[in-house]
Amino acid sequence: MLTAEEIRILATSLGVAGRAVLFSLPVAIAFAWALSRPNFRGKWIVDAIAHLPLVLPPVLVGYFLLLIFGVRGPIGAWLRDAFGIQLAFTAEGAALATAVMAFPLMVRAIRLSFEATDRGLFEAAAVLRASPWDRFWSMALPLAWPGVLAGAVTAFAAGLGEFGAVITFASNVEGQTQTLPLAIYSALQVPNGEETALRLAAISMTAAVVGLALAELLQHWARRRLEA
Amino acid sequence: MSLTLTSAVVRKGAFRLAAECVVPSSGITVVFGPSGAGKSMLLATIAGLHRLESGRVEFNGRVIEDTGAKTRVGPHDRGIGLVFQDARLFPHLSVRGNIQYAERRRPAARNAPITIEIARRLEIEDLLDRRVRNLSGGERSRVALARAVVSAPELLLLDEPFAALDGRRRIAFLKLLKDLSKSQNLPLMVVTHQVEEVAELADHVIAMKGGHVVSHGPAAEVMAMPNFAALLDRRDYGARVDATSVAGDHSGGVWIKADSVLLAAEEPRGISARNVWRGTIRSIVREPDGAVLVSLATDTGYVSSRITPEALADLRLQEDATAWAVVKSHAL
Repeated sequence: MLTAEEIRILATSLGVAGRAVLFSLPVAIAFAWALSRPNFRGKWIVDAIAHLPLVLPPVLVGYFLLLIFGVRGPIGAWLRDAFGIQLAFTAEGAALATAVMAFPLMVRAIRLSFEATDRGLFEAAAVLRASPWDRFWSMALPLAWPGVLAGAVTAFAAGLGEFGAVITFASNVEGQTQTLPLAIYSALQVPNGEETALRLAAISMTAAVVGLALAELLQHWARRRLEA
Repeated sequence: MSLTLTSAVVRKGAFRLAAECVVPSSGITVVFGPSGAGKSMLLATIAGLHRLESGRVEFNGRVIEDTGAKTRVGPHDRGIGLVFQDARLFPHLSVRGNIQYAERRRPAARNAPITIEIARRLEIEDLLDRRVRNLSGGERSRVALARAVVSAPELLLLDEPFAALDGRRRIAFLKLLKDLSKSQNLPLMVVTHQVEEVAELADHVIAMKGGHVVSHGPAAEVMAMPNFAALLDRRDYGARVDATSVAGDHSGGVWIKADSVLLAAEEPRGISARNVWRGTIRSIVREPDGAVLVSLATDTGYVSSRITPEALADLRLQEDATAWAVVKSHAL
């Protein structure tokens, strides 16, 4: 059904989106938790950082990443000298760019889930000797878990389609950083590439729809659990 | 060894609670007052769920909160349990999981109650594998109580634990609480707005109104004070007497409402009532609607009776005269 080439592109896409979600999930949970707390000093800064990728042009995000994580950027140079890791123009870099772009989506879904949890349950846990840290792991996270999962799936589905930030930071290297949208773009650049582009577009569509449906299912499950 | 609140002030929105009281380290202390008195807030404050604006709380020789010294022990470190009015069972855990949550977190050194024994006492053994969302109101109350007892607190607070229970279960639950307090050697602090429950349960009473403690101390003393009577509905007006049931399975106080007491000017004979007290009339008060409230000093304490002005005239009752108060056992 799919050609070897298409399978490779799909695999690159899934790999990039998967790693993006995996690495940013703990950070997203921490941000979402902080934002779901009652007001604290500097909350607006945390909020702004979490939402920035949503309002910045993706190309700009990619460019900033190049400035910071590029071979000559402050963190990029250090990573290369200390660990021999290069992010720019690699699949890891594509994952990083995707993670940054999908971050606000993830934070939002998880935050809503934290906020929907009945605060009274935390009080009930506290008087049963659960410390704040314990309450986070034993109450907040398990109760918000379906929402966390839904946020991850939404971010994954969105990550499959990230274009601007990825092409700017990781470039369009076949078999390495060429994800579905990048491959579609390349196909459209060559004569008679419309059929290839159309097939890739269909794959991309299917993946996105399946992801969204899965996220919706998880949200439904979350709501049912919290209604108890 | 007890709990002491000194000039404790808490503010929540427009409501201000200013409490000064002592909770003894044994027996049952009942917090009583009309709704809006701040009873639940007092409990939440003691548990550490509200921050003091000023004041000091000391528990078993340890300062657990002192705004002057800027000390504050978190709710999880106080060793004080709280059963909420709405039970607050954890929806992601089974009944067993809820109880185990408490069991896993209690200190090993405490002389811990045995979970299965508590479950049996509270008749929730058959519910252990159920999801909490499928429980009835009464079942939830019992699971919440079991969870709190299993956590082995040094003091257990209960916020209107009878709210979800109907008459018969209420009485059974009341008895259970008394037994639990005794057998587990666990001091309880119970909020209620039913005066009968105060008389039934309390060794000590904290009477509250409008965010203040009106009086506190031994139940018999506090419940005989005029400022306690001032907290009551007219219909609830009455007196507490020490009592033992005929079957002997039950002892403690009983609240006798003035409306259920008959008065006799001569010693009654040939009647079926089991409780007849001889006493001296101490006061005769005419109420605004014309009814007359007669207070009698008896060997077991005061008893009040509400009678009609016609009855007062017929019986020719007056202060310092001897009279008999008659109560049907059923009314107790």
